[in-house]
Amino acid sequence: MRLVDRVGFCVQSLRSQPTRTLLIALAMAIGTAGVVVLTWLGEAARHYVVGQFDALGTNLVIVLPGRSETTGSAPPLLGETSRDLTLDDALAVKRSPAVRRLAPVVVGGAVVAFGNRSRETTVLGSTAELLPVRRLTLGMGRFLPEDNAAGGAVCVLGATVARELFGAQHPIGEFVSVGDRRYRVSGILASGGMSLGTDLDEMVVLPVVAAQALFDSPGLFRIIIEATSKDAVPLAVADVQRILSERHEGEYDVTVITQDALSSTFDGILRALTLAVAGIAAISLVVAGILVMNVMVVAVTQRRAEIGLLMALGAEAVTVRRLFLGEALLLSVGGGCAGLLLGEATSRVLPHFAPVLRPGVPWWAAAAAVSVAVGCGLVFGTAPAARAARLDPVTALARR
Amino acid sequence: MRSNDAISFAFAAVRSQPMRSLLTALGIAVGIAAVVLLTSLGTGLQRFVLQEFTQFGTNLLQVSPGRKTTLGLSGSMINSVRPLSLEDAEAIATLPHVRGVCPSLFGNVPVEAGGRSRRVMANAVGSTMPEVWRFAVARGVFLPPDEPRNARAFAVLGHKLWRELYGDQNPLGDIVRIGGDRYRVIGVMTPKGQFLGFDLDDAVYLPVGRGLELFDREGLMQIDVLFSSDDVVDEVTAAVRRTLIARHGVDDCTITAQQQMLEVLGSVLGVLTFAVAALGGISLIVGGVGILTIMSIALRERVAEIGLLRAIGATRAQLRWLFLGEAAALATLGGTAGLVVGAGAAWLLHAFVPALPVAVTPWHLVLAEGVSLAIGLGAGVLPAHRAALLDPIEALRAE
Repeated sequence: MRLVDRVGFCVQSLRSQPTRTLLIALAMAIGTAGVVVLTWLGEAARHYVVGQFDALGTNLVIVLPGRSETTGSAPPLLGETSRDLTLDDALAVKRSPAVRRLAPVVVGGAVVAFGNRSRETTVLGSTAELLPVRRLTLGMGRFLPEDNAAGGAVCVLGATVARELFGAQHPIGEFVSVGDRRYRVSGILASGGMSLGTDLDEMVVLPVVAAQALFDSPGLFRIIIEATSKDAVPLAVADVQRILSERHEGEYDVTVITQDALSSTFDGILRALTLAVAGIAAISLVVAGILVMNVMVVAVTQRRAEIGLLMALGAEAVTVRRLFLGEALLLSVGGGCAGLLLGEATSRVLPHFAPVLRPGVPWWAAAAAVSVAVGCGLVFGTAPAARAARLDPVTALARR
Repeated sequence: MRSNDAISFAFAAVRSQPMRSLLTALGIAVGIAAVVLLTSLGTGLQRFVLQEFTQFGTNLLQVSPGRKTTLGLSGSMINSVRPLSLEDAEAIATLPHVRGVCPSLFGNVPVEAGGRSRRVMANAVGSTMPEVWRFAVARGVFLPPDEPRNARAFAVLGHKLWRELYGDQNPLGDIVRIGGDRYRVIGVMTPKGQFLGFDLDDAVYLPVGRGLELFDREGLMQIDVLFSSDDVVDEVTAAVRRTLIARHGVDDCTITAQQQMLEVLGSVLGVLTFAVAALGGISLIVGGVGILTIMSIALRERVAEIGLLRAIGATRAQLRWLFLGEAAALATLGGTAGLVVGAGAAWLLHAFVPALPVAVTPWHLVLAEGVSLAIGLGAGVLPAHRAALLDPIEALRAE
């Protein structure tokens, strides 16, 4: 029997039972679509999170005061230390050749008021370099002055804060009070939305010295460093460790995190999560495989006479087995492809309603889903095909 | 036809094709097993997390500086123009129903003892901490109730810190250096484990006043308020808020009841469990399609039988029920098998990996069984309808 004949035979026998064929293909399609859509969602989530980290800036190195020696626990993201990270530390680090620019950061909460309106906000104390380092954009006016030692009593408001306090009034040049001090508004940040859980629009940026005075604390919360290039990041980390240890009486008491390490951690976690979810969905492909097996078993029973005739005409056992396997293969390929199309369509349509999602199923997910579907069909088709091949032509024909 | 007969008829039909029935039921069984296993894991995780939080008790209020906005932490925890003070904590302690107040702040410090040094978390807390946080002392005593602004330099070590610094030796009475200052060790805590990424055992506990000095801070990070019973939570919350407004002039603190937090957390985790179960549910749908396929095949084969049944007086409604019953029987058989396998796998998982929280709840088992029955009925509707519509004369002629 030639290949063309074999395929023709399989197609014909599938077409003779359209309901059955369609239902099995449907089962396969549901399973494949499930795997494809879930993998796509997982990948989209991963891209979104990694994108958030990339949006923080490029080649960033973040210095936190304090260091924890507890294995497996989080770095000291919050909390105090007995030796503060100071502005002088930040200036010393800036002398490293691997550092392009850096922004010291002080964080706190205070009430910002203008006229009779007031609002509790997060106050960020930093320098002019925060703007390029953190990739913020200015909506209007100017950012903090370059000369951070002089500082000056100016502030930059987040978009929401400006709107809530000033309404339609022009804010630049007006005085707002932050805590018990007064600052002139020099600029407004462009409305940037959320960044890693911090609402940039709900923020007031002060010169770092002013913020330290406001909170009466010499310690910095973070130093955000931008390395000169990607290759310079390890050098910057080493320099930071060396310079700060020297300045802290030989003690290494800060935590240094690189942006890459941070984003690759999340990347890994989300990738694992995606695979787990896709794996759960793939169980349905096994169920679809069982269905293929079931229907093939039925078909072998129903088509005894036909098989007997084929064998009587000289078809070998191998040929019969191939015919039945071919049928299972066609069913699972058809179902898998239909499911793939369905999944791909979902991944094109859904992003119109949720723009954060990236359209398009990753090719490896598509390939994996279809090959698992086909694999299931083949594995579960083997037993019925073998059964058909084992039939004795004489008894098979006699049963008629 | 009596209902007894109908049931035995349905089961006889299932039995007459053992291979086919077995495979159909297997499809449903795989789906149900997946759902049961996944919900067990989800529920286990939910319980584990809730337990993590309730280990501190449920009659707790947390007061933190700053108005908490949309999400998470406000900057006020780190710095604030109007900090929470020790005096605030003392004022709250005098309120009715309040059983204990624990002011606290934490930070990272080096602890040195006998030539060894380790950087750990320092928790500066009030002397009421063991009662408020339900955290017992293993050896020695906890920090004495000194005047907070002038407390003696005593420290209590977390269990792991003790092991790291002293091994098996008795640390009581020894002097340790914490951030450069000398403290006398007067106790060791029992092991408590991790909480939200903080290892409470790899920590040192100091008097709160000393902590303010050590970290050069004016304000506390948190005040935990233990009150007498669940019933007075609103009353205590209101009283604490009134007191703080009276002391600060404005409402500038966030008060969170532990109960409230647990409810939010519980519902979030519940949704998560449901979502994971729904993922497993995809296989159930595929299993349902399997039942539909097999039933429609069976329908073709049994046209003559249906015709005979109709000829001897079975009504259309009865036929419909017979086929529905068969589909339901297949699904329930599969469902039960899946239930046993899923629950068994969850149990095995728990036996071999005790760290993995697994909880099989009867409610989920009933739900899984109900879902499998519903899927069977749903898949059976179309074939049953077609069987009922067959013309008896045509059907008999098919023989």
